Amino acid sequence: MTAFVTLAGVYNMPVLAGERSREQDLMTSRALEQFLASVEKRAFKIAQLGLRNDEDALDAVQDAMMKLVQSYASRGSDEWRPLFYRILANRIHDLQRRRTVRGRVMAWLPIREAEDDEEFDPIAQAPSPEASPMRRLELDEAIGALEAALQDLPPRQQQAFLLRNLEGLDVSETASAMGCSEGSVKTHYFRALESLRARLGEVI
Amino acid sequence: MSQEPTEFEKRTRALLEESSGRLDGRTLSRLTQARHAALDQQQKSARAPWWRWSVPAGAAAAVLAVVIWVGHPPAVEAPASLAKSVDEFELLTDADAPDFVDEGEDVEFYEWASGEMES
Repeated sequence: MTAFVTLAGVYNMPVLAGERSREQDLMTSRALEQFLASVEKRAFKIAQLGLRNDEDALDAVQDAMMKLVQSYASRGSDEWRPLFYRILANRIHDLQRRRTVRGRVMAWLPIREAEDDEEFDPIAQAPSPEASPMRRLELDEAIGALEAALQDLPPRQQQAFLLRNLEGLDVSETASAMGCSEGSVKTHYFRALESLRARLGEVI
Repeated sequence: MSQEPTEFEKRTRALLEESSGRLDGRTLSRLTQARHAALDQQQKSARAPWWRWSVPAGAAAAVLAVVIWVGHPPAVEAPASLAKSVDEFELLTDADAPDFVDEGEDVEFYEWASGEMES
């Protein structure tokens, strides 16, 4: 009996180790899914405000998700948020720069890109039934004014404001995501707040 | 945030949250697809069999061992008995060597004489 138990223990060891590894992978996968699901809408909003284009924003978010999973899945889950926003910020910056170059080239050409080539989807665009029409109109105006003001901010101020205010990162995490010092984050955030307050104080 | 957010900050946050929650169905679907694509990629890399990495690692280790062996061959000291045999072999093959061995002379005498000279 002892021999059987010992042999069974020896032969089961690699199997158990493999199962444990698979279990670990499954747990990481679930944790990643929860994390990505928790950030994807705000990440899209940040990318959309930075890029002013839904398709580019979706691409940026997808690239950031891929990169995070590919390169940083093994890191602690508490590190994912700043890493994800760092990747996203880099991607947004790349797309902004590419667009600037493309804009310069296109300015010399007589061809204009078709911007609204997608069909209107009435279901997708249908308003949520929760709010009353008047309340919804007020919210629409306030959101429109805020987003327009955010889009007019310098990119670093916009980034600092969105990461801290919308995503709720602290100064240290924001600095990590933006790749700058905590002092710079405070300065960018303060200036963004002042600009927005000056412009929207009466509106929202 | 370290400080308590002001009313303005709270209001802007609420508006941005509201705006994020109003994404249309198409955008939400694309975000879900993006998330699943990223997770599929992670699961594929996690499912890769162990030998996928162990074979290249083993090959790399073998190449490294060969490089180290060729670069620094281990110094081997010849044992004393082997050195003595080589001396005797040289004596037999040397053209100038004395031919008394073939002629059946008293080898023991010459060995004694050689020992006496060395001492």
